[in-house]
Amino acid sequence: MTTITSASPADAVADLNSRLDAPVARVAAHTDIIDGVLPRLVVEPATPAQVSQTLAWATERGRTVIVRGGGTKIGWGPTSSSIEVLLSMSELDGVEAHRHGDLTATVQAGTTLSALNAVLAEHRQWLALDPPDEDSATIGGIVATNDSGPRRHWHGAPRDLIIGMTLVRADGVIAHSGGIVVKNVAGYDLARLLTGSFGSLGVIVNATFKLAPLAEASRTVVVDFPGTDQCAPYVAGLVAQASMPTALELAAPPARMLVRFESVETVAEQQASHAVTIAGQHGGTAVVLTGDDETCAWRAHDARVFGADQGGTILKVVTMPAELSSTLARIGEEAQANQLDYAVTGRAGLGVLHVLLTGGAAARASIIMALRSRVPLGQGSVVVRRADAELKSLVGVWGPIGDGLPIMREVKRRFDPTGTLGPGRGPGGL
Amino acid sequence: MIDSDFLSELERIVGTDGLVRDESELLTYESDGLMSHRSRPAAAVLPETAEQVQAVVRLCHQRTVPFVARGQGTGLSGGALPHPEGVLIVMTRMNRVLDIDIPNQRITVEPGVINLEVTRQVASDGYYYAPDPSSQVICSIGGNLAENSGGAHCLKYGFTVHHVLGVEAVLPDGEMVHLGGAALDSPGLDLLGVVVGSEGTLAVVTKVTLRVLRRPQAVRTLLAAFDSTDAAGNAVSDVIAAGIIPAAIEMMDRTTIRAAEAAVQPGFPDAEAVLIVELDGSQSEVETRFKQIEAVCARNQAWGVQVAQDDAQRGRIWMGRKAAFAAMGRVSPNYYVQDGVIPRSTLPEVLRRIRALEQRSGLTIGNVFHAGDGNLHPLVCYDEAVEGQAELAEHVASEILSYCLDVGGSLTGEHGIGSDKACHMPKMFSADDLATMQLVRVAFDPDGICNPDKLFPTPRLCGEVPGPYRAHPAETAGLAARV
Ligand SMILES: Cc1cc2nc3c(=O)[nH]c(=O)nc-3n(C[C@H](O)[C@H](O)[C@H](O)COP(=O)(O)OP(=O)(O)OC[C@H]3O[C@@H](n4cnc5c(N)ncnc54)[C@H](O)[C@@H]3O)c2cc1C
Repeated sequence: MTTITSASPADAVADLNSRLDAPVARVAAHTDIIDGVLPRLVVEPATPAQVSQTLAWATERGRTVIVRGGGTKIGWGPTSSSIEVLLSMSELDGVEAHRHGDLTATVQAGTTLSALNAVLAEHRQWLALDPPDEDSATIGGIVATNDSGPRRHWHGAPRDLIIGMTLVRADGVIAHSGGIVVKNVAGYDLARLLTGSFGSLGVIVNATFKLAPLAEASRTVVVDFPGTDQCAPYVAGLVAQASMPTALELAAPPARMLVRFESVETVAEQQASHAVTIAGQHGGTAVVLTGDDETCAWRAHDARVFGADQGGTILKVVTMPAELSSTLARIGEEAQANQLDYAVTGRAGLGVLHVLLTGGAAARASIIMALRSRVPLGQGSVVVRRADAELKSLVGVWGPIGDGLPIMREVKRRFDPTGTLGPGRGPGGL
Repeated sequence: MIDSDFLSELERIVGTDGLVRDESELLTYESDGLMSHRSRPAAAVLPETAEQVQAVVRLCHQRTVPFVARGQGTGLSGGALPHPEGVLIVMTRMNRVLDIDIPNQRITVEPGVINLEVTRQVASDGYYYAPDPSSQVICSIGGNLAENSGGAHCLKYGFTVHHVLGVEAVLPDGEMVHLGGAALDSPGLDLLGVVVGSEGTLAVVTKVTLRVLRRPQAVRTLLAAFDSTDAAGNAVSDVIAAGIIPAAIEMMDRTTIRAAEAAVQPGFPDAEAVLIVELDGSQSEVETRFKQIEAVCARNQAWGVQVAQDDAQRGRIWMGRKAAFAAMGRVSPNYYVQDGVIPRSTLPEVLRRIRALEQRSGLTIGNVFHAGDGNLHPLVCYDEAVEGQAELAEHVASEILSYCLDVGGSLTGEHGIGSDKACHMPKMFSADDLATMQLVRVAFDPDGICNPDKLFPTPRLCGEVPGPYRAHPAETAGLAARV
């Protein structure tokens, strides 16, 4: 291995371009800065072969690579002190195939979720994921972070919907896993392994998903409760009545729930009115929204934590569903004790919450530590999703991983022995 | 090597009662549901605790002795085929239900628990365990997890992987790890996602936390007859095109209908094809969708439509479907069960090829499928007593797999690769694809002692060149060499 990190960025660009079948490498610009770090060079491949050429070169030259999709989550994960190669996937975009009769689609990693869903909508189908930033978040980024939104409640997360993947290994080898059929148990499920791996095992160049039909009609019941204590019993009440919402969201403080029903018109209407009745039994005041009002309500809900103008730290707090009330209470108490402003939104039925915190770094660090200290391993987690470098270095991004960490490290070592792919940025610091 | 010293070590771990070394007793474990593959293990152990499993695996690791986990032995791909110089770890005694947590919709069990038992444990609370392989009364959760088993209802509710939240597992070096957890999204790589479906080649699972679902408010089941499998196939397409995801859509052809009728008399019409469509959900949803399904059936000239009026009638329809495999024994001395997958929309084309193959080979081929997700189960009938027919049947079954791959399908939808299809893997995956899967394998099991000779083609199993080699584009471009 020849290490030429001392060479100037321009020399490195020339060296890499001589290995690429098209000169898609360039010197980084200010818009490429990540967490305050300017990468040495940026590559914008348009084909899987160019991804392969770049990675093979980087591994051979001992350079580290960070992958950027839409750039919406690039600030997640630990901060790197230096970034050598930034691999930008935005040119690798487009829907390769929409097999509407089979309810599947194959899409290149750089395609944004909204662009994909616009194509799928022509046949009244969609990739049933609604994470934040769907206009800029790319499929590769969403899969690499296993990100999802409110309708995970019914449809699941990327790991539940992915059926195939093409990936490029650190050494440049291109490999496939799964296929284009929804049911398939041939070979190891590498697509699932790479999902949520934060780019630590390979670069995703395309993915194939199982799709869902677009519902004819939608209703959202917005319920306001006097306090968060009523939320969990309301969720239990819905479950007991075999209610089947596609989203079951919570927003606090104070205490609001958004329950969405998607089906044919009459059914959505009927289920919504049922949810209103149950809300009344739990002391809530409910309205049913549809059309533009409904869209606005969901946009506002999303923006509470993820809004572009919201600064601050975002945590992902996972709890056992039955611990929802106590978890919310604890977040509230800790925020008050640390004099932090906070907002919580999330999947009430699944126990997956996002918490936005604003206030001093020491106070934010202290709440994270306090919350982590209260969750037994396997019963929940507190992960830093977005934060400044200072906070990330104070508390670490992931929290405890448990006894699976050594085997995770070994998998990483086998896939990327030279540590080319975003070293330290993978889950658990891989 | 297994010597008397090794055997007494095993005995010390699992007790006299937990060690099987007698040749005739070992016969029981010679094969799983794929009877054509047989091999006697050097020893079998029946551990009762995770610690015993760990001690056995640790011992095997120290002596580099291969081991194979076995659940109920109902697997159909030879996944639990013993290694002749190895230890078979039979998990059936680890069948305790450890925790039922209804508020969180979770249940934690040992892997030897039978699939249907999980539902029994939570039924009185109004819950059930969704994956329902036809073998659910006899197969174990450990086997389901290893095979990522599916069932008729996985069209809407997903496979085992969608319902397993966390496991405790013993790695091939004897370390015990916890992957996933009772809560969602445990930080770290999703190793659980790859252990599920790894056919016992990465770890021995000793504890499993599963998600259970609330029973839907309403269920409706319909059976409809068609004059051709094409018409039935079109009805399936129309259902999907209407934006409906039923809980299940199953198809049977004339051969399997007759076999089921002979075996369990479910009262199916004598037709070219029947479809079983089941809807579940809220009362209003089911009623609305059911009308749409009836309209689709009528449009495709369905006849003999039966709508289950109660649980008993619904049970009878499903009994006819679930008995289809076993029922073939009524119409043919022997049969070979194939498991392949196609994109659903290619069903008519692939069925035509199967019909042509049937005529060409002279062997009857019955078809049952999970039509909603394109999972075919052709049943190739033959008579062992007729010389050459067994080989012909196997050949015919392989040919059907090639039809599946031709249309972009898969070698297996639920039975797994095991020892049966390992040599077919290069037809579906390039050398680079397989080498990449091997990276996972060697990370977990560098010594290759955990269920060896399964899933991956090896020269020992398949000859020097395992199947036709396809150069990967990256290789031809000189970018990557074969590992
Ligand atoms: C009549 C019939 C119908 C069937 N129908 C279906 C169906 O509808 N859908 C379907 O998916 N399958 C079906 N099968 C196949 C089979 O029942 C499933 O594959 C089942 O999951 C196997 O479970 P088992 O306990 O018998 O496992 P086994 O056959 O004993 O083992 C299967 C694999 O699991 C591994 N294993 C077992 N326990 C463990 C453990 N604790 N840790 C690690 N690895 C372990 C073994 O090593 C082996 O590789 C059917 C089989 C029959 C005979």
